[in-house]
Amino acid sequence: MSTIRRFRAMDMFRFNNINLDRYTETYDLSFYLTYLSSWPDLYVVAESADGSLMGYLMGKVEGKEEQWHGHVTALTVAPECRRLGLGRGLMKVLEEASEKTYDCYFVDLFVRPSNAVAIQMYETLGYTLYRQVIDYYMGDGVMPTEYANDMRKALARDVDKKSVVPIKHPVNVEDTLF
Amino acid sequence: MGHGDMRQGLKECDKLLRKHSTHQSALSLKAYALARLGEVDEAVALGQKVLRTPGALKSSHVIQGLSLTFRVLKLSEDEIAVYNAALIHTPDSEQLYCKIFMAAARSKLYKEQHSAAVALNKLLKQDRYLWWVVTSLLMQAKSAQDGSVKQLQLTLAERMAEKALNEGRLTNTEELRVYLEVLELQGNHAAMVSALSTSGPLAEKIANDPDLVTQWIGLLIKIGDFTKAYEVAEIALEARDNWADYKLYVEAAIAQMDDSESPVQAASANFDKWAAQRGRARGAILAGVELATKLHEAGHAKPTDETADVVGERIWSYVEQFMTKAICYSDIMQYFISHVKSATALGQTSSAIDFHTKHLEQRLHDARAVATAAECGEDAAQSWVTLERIRYLIQALADDVDPQRWVADIGAMLSFGLDSVEAERKLAACSDMTLIACQRIILASFLAYPDPAQRSSLLSSLFKAVCVLEAGIKLNDDQFLLKLYAIRLYLYLSCYDRARVLYDTLNIKNIQFDTLGHLINGHGMSLGCFSVDLELCYDGVSFYDRSDARVPQELESAYGKGTYSNITDFTMFQDNLVHSVQRECTHRCALRGEAFEHGTSKDILEQWKEADVVSIEHTDETIAALHDNRDVGVMGLQTPVDMAKWNLEIMTRQIPLPGSAWIQIFSMVPQIMHYIVCSEVDLLESKTKDLLVVIDEAGQSVSSHDLLLARGVYQVAILYLRALSGNEGFDSELATLSDMIIGALPQETSSSASNTLDLCDVALTTIRTASVATEVFTYAQSVRHALFAQRSPSANAVTFGLSQIRKTAMKMMGGLRTWTEKPARENIDALWLNAEDSLLAPVTAFLFNRRKSAVTLVTKSCAGSWLKSANNMAAHWKKCT
Repeated sequence: MSTIRRFRAMDMFRFNNINLDRYTETYDLSFYLTYLSSWPDLYVVAESADGSLMGYLMGKVEGKEEQWHGHVTALTVAPECRRLGLGRGLMKVLEEASEKTYDCYFVDLFVRPSNAVAIQMYETLGYTLYRQVIDYYMGDGVMPTEYANDMRKALARDVDKKSVVPIKHPVNVEDTLF
Repeated sequence: MGHGDMRQGLKECDKLLRKHSTHQSALSLKAYALARLGEVDEAVALGQKVLRTPGALKSSHVIQGLSLTFRVLKLSEDEIAVYNAALIHTPDSEQLYCKIFMAAARSKLYKEQHSAAVALNKLLKQDRYLWWVVTSLLMQAKSAQDGSVKQLQLTLAERMAEKALNEGRLTNTEELRVYLEVLELQGNHAAMVSALSTSGPLAEKIANDPDLVTQWIGLLIKIGDFTKAYEVAEIALEARDNWADYKLYVEAAIAQMDDSESPVQAASANFDKWAAQRGRARGAILAGVELATKLHEAGHAKPTDETADVVGERIWSYVEQFMTKAICYSDIMQYFISHVKSATALGQTSSAIDFHTKHLEQRLHDARAVATAAECGEDAAQSWVTLERIRYLIQALADDVDPQRWVADIGAMLSFGLDSVEAERKLAACSDMTLIACQRIILASFLAYPDPAQRSSLLSSLFKAVCVLEAGIKLNDDQFLLKLYAIRLYLYLSCYDRARVLYDTLNIKNIQFDTLGHLINGHGMSLGCFSVDLELCYDGVSFYDRSDARVPQELESAYGKGTYSNITDFTMFQDNLVHSVQRECTHRCALRGEAFEHGTSKDILEQWKEADVVSIEHTDETIAALHDNRDVGVMGLQTPVDMAKWNLEIMTRQIPLPGSAWIQIFSMVPQIMHYIVCSEVDLLESKTKDLLVVIDEAGQSVSSHDLLLARGVYQVAILYLRALSGNEGFDSELATLSDMIIGALPQETSSSASNTLDLCDVALTTIRTASVATEVFTYAQSVRHALFAQRSPSANAVTFGLSQIRKTAMKMMGGLRTWTEKPARENIDALWLNAEDSLLAPVTAFLFNRRKSAVTLVTKSCAGSWLKSANNMAAHWKKCT
């Protein structure tokens, strides 16, 4: 339970309880503002009963024809707000918008293979491994260089579930651009 | 120029212009190169010349070059003039009108923005331009001072949007949001409800937009249609678990109580129903607490009888069910507070406190027993933490000022937080427990030792709190709250170096410079560590410069993409950043750091001459327009921020958070130095008087050390004025300055008796005042250079006076260094660790027995940080030849 609403630029003044977590990156302003100006309905935040921010999801839609899809750019939840199903709630918003508003074929996301907790959550939400992306995550002194698991979930428009048929061989980062 | 080499670009332009002196493209590019190279006056003059040249703006190259020039120079009106001049040649150019619209939008020139939108709408009759007209009217209205003008613009915007809605030209929720905002500003809630109740394709979009649904329910309540609000909220809640909707649902149900109790009963039944659904229990049960609380507040329950306990029982029932979740406390805290406050209003505080204490005690006892049993697991650990947080709150609500009670059971908390199997497993609950224990230690210390005479005991206790925090950080480096408190306490003890190391591990950047920079920015300069603090200021200044360019670009992008809901938000965000308190502080710190770094060199004179002291001028209006974006709520407080008495964020500030007086003082200091170097005597006299007024009025809002610094700068200015006025009173002013600087330096000690420095003095004042003395001396050095440059007869006397001060200072700083190298650690052992301390005896015992390494680390960090400060200052004095 929380209030899930659109993220606002003003929220950046008070998202430190989420972003001070070492695994959450604080990007340049443009990054956040570009998402807000491009896909305001796919950038959502969860607010607690006492008004503090609990977590947020940044998403976008991209691709052409049968590659038209929703994408999870960032999903992060404050340490004290974990184990509440908040990640699922935020994912639900993106999935519903991708399906109902944007009529996408699928939703995809990248996750570190070492992030077992997140992978398990995505699996229970119906996401499967579509392909691996070579050295997608570059080491930054805190986290190591790692492949990415590109996980996908087909939406209603992809009747034959073609978008989630796995590719067995790992691909390069440039092969993932839409 | 495309590669950013403006100097080469300028050369190429000049080469071309030597052959073709009226080549307008070359002239406009030259103006652009000059603008980028900071040659502002020349760039403006050239740009204006091209702008006035008939026919020059027929060329798209000239338009581009010239508009970019004015954009770089932040001369938006001139940029717009370029496009308007070009329109004479291509009167129906959509592109030029769009450029005017965007340039005006970026610079908040709403009138020009609106004119461009109207022209575009008239010219092309596209829906997109219709909404540009509406949006620009809205922004114009929001910035209008005149009420009737404001209303006129809103009415126009409303009519256009309403017409669009009726004609089916309002097709998406972004446009709808603009319309709603126009109506909201007029307080026309009924029309807002009507717009949200629309049918057709838009209705489906509204239904799929949770924010709009919530807004709709709220509006229905505002217009008094509680039945409909209740109905819509119920439908929304059937579909999703949204706290904002729960609150409105409760409000709508209670509003109907006078007519019928059935909505409340039905809501209550629904809460039970939803609570049984998977994943919805927390929201539905908390809504039950909300309902009970609001019924009570609305007078639908008799507060003095057992009904009051119904609210209390609901609260505890919630705790019972969700105390295994870390969020439980945040959820329920407000209800504890309102429950106790409503009892207080009836003079029954103690009965409410007793009620909660009774509920707490057994649960706490049980939770502790389970959690301290072998391998208790995450849920049991979290339950104990939740109950400890509630205990903390209840003590605060009970106004419990007995320090002993605040540290009762502290030993058990430390053992669990730092020394249990769960702690080894890095359970988050253990770090949380360590934090709560530390917060209790800090609170108890301030309660026990309020008197300045007890400062040794206070500092000893805070030192132990830092040891606990360092032990916690060592165990779990991920817990940023432990680091925030450690940073705060190290700074309290005048230890910049270790505080800075911890700050750097938090990887604070970008927008966080504005919200969290205050944690460390400026503290280095107060503690003799100017260079490293200055580097951090530069990072902050660079962020603000980038944001000045990027936020307007994104605003433009929002218009371009039709995401109008962002316009107000981005504009407000931009305002908050442009007029940010922290921005002003960072900028002033940067000026201060530069003045210090270069203050001993003759080159400083050129820097002071060129310094822009006009833009840093503050008036009451500009001060009032500042926004404080600093995030002081991130400290993991166990009580609400507004319970000031228990606010550890405020309590642990060694110096006040810089505010308006601080900003004014540090705006005046560079101005004073500029006037000295430029020999602007009248302006200097006036500014010096102003400084004295601000100092006198600052009171407690500025630290005593910063006030001392300001007085020092004042004295430096007076010395300069006396030097100019034929030595009348000059000697006396030089002596006063000398006394002030030497008086602020560490007490003179001989090398054999260097351990005579007082540990508490060092931790609280010695390093800070030494830093002030060093800084004031640096300003005095700049004055000396200025007097020489101005061929003042007093220059030699000042030089002699300063050399005498320096000689004494070098000796005193040597004493401080010697003390921090060895006796400091012995003093810490003797006075802070081994001193008799009944209050924190269990903490001391725990640290000595179980976490000696943390004690060693903190001891070394304190002495090491002081030594670094002393070394920095000594090196600076050495440089001041």
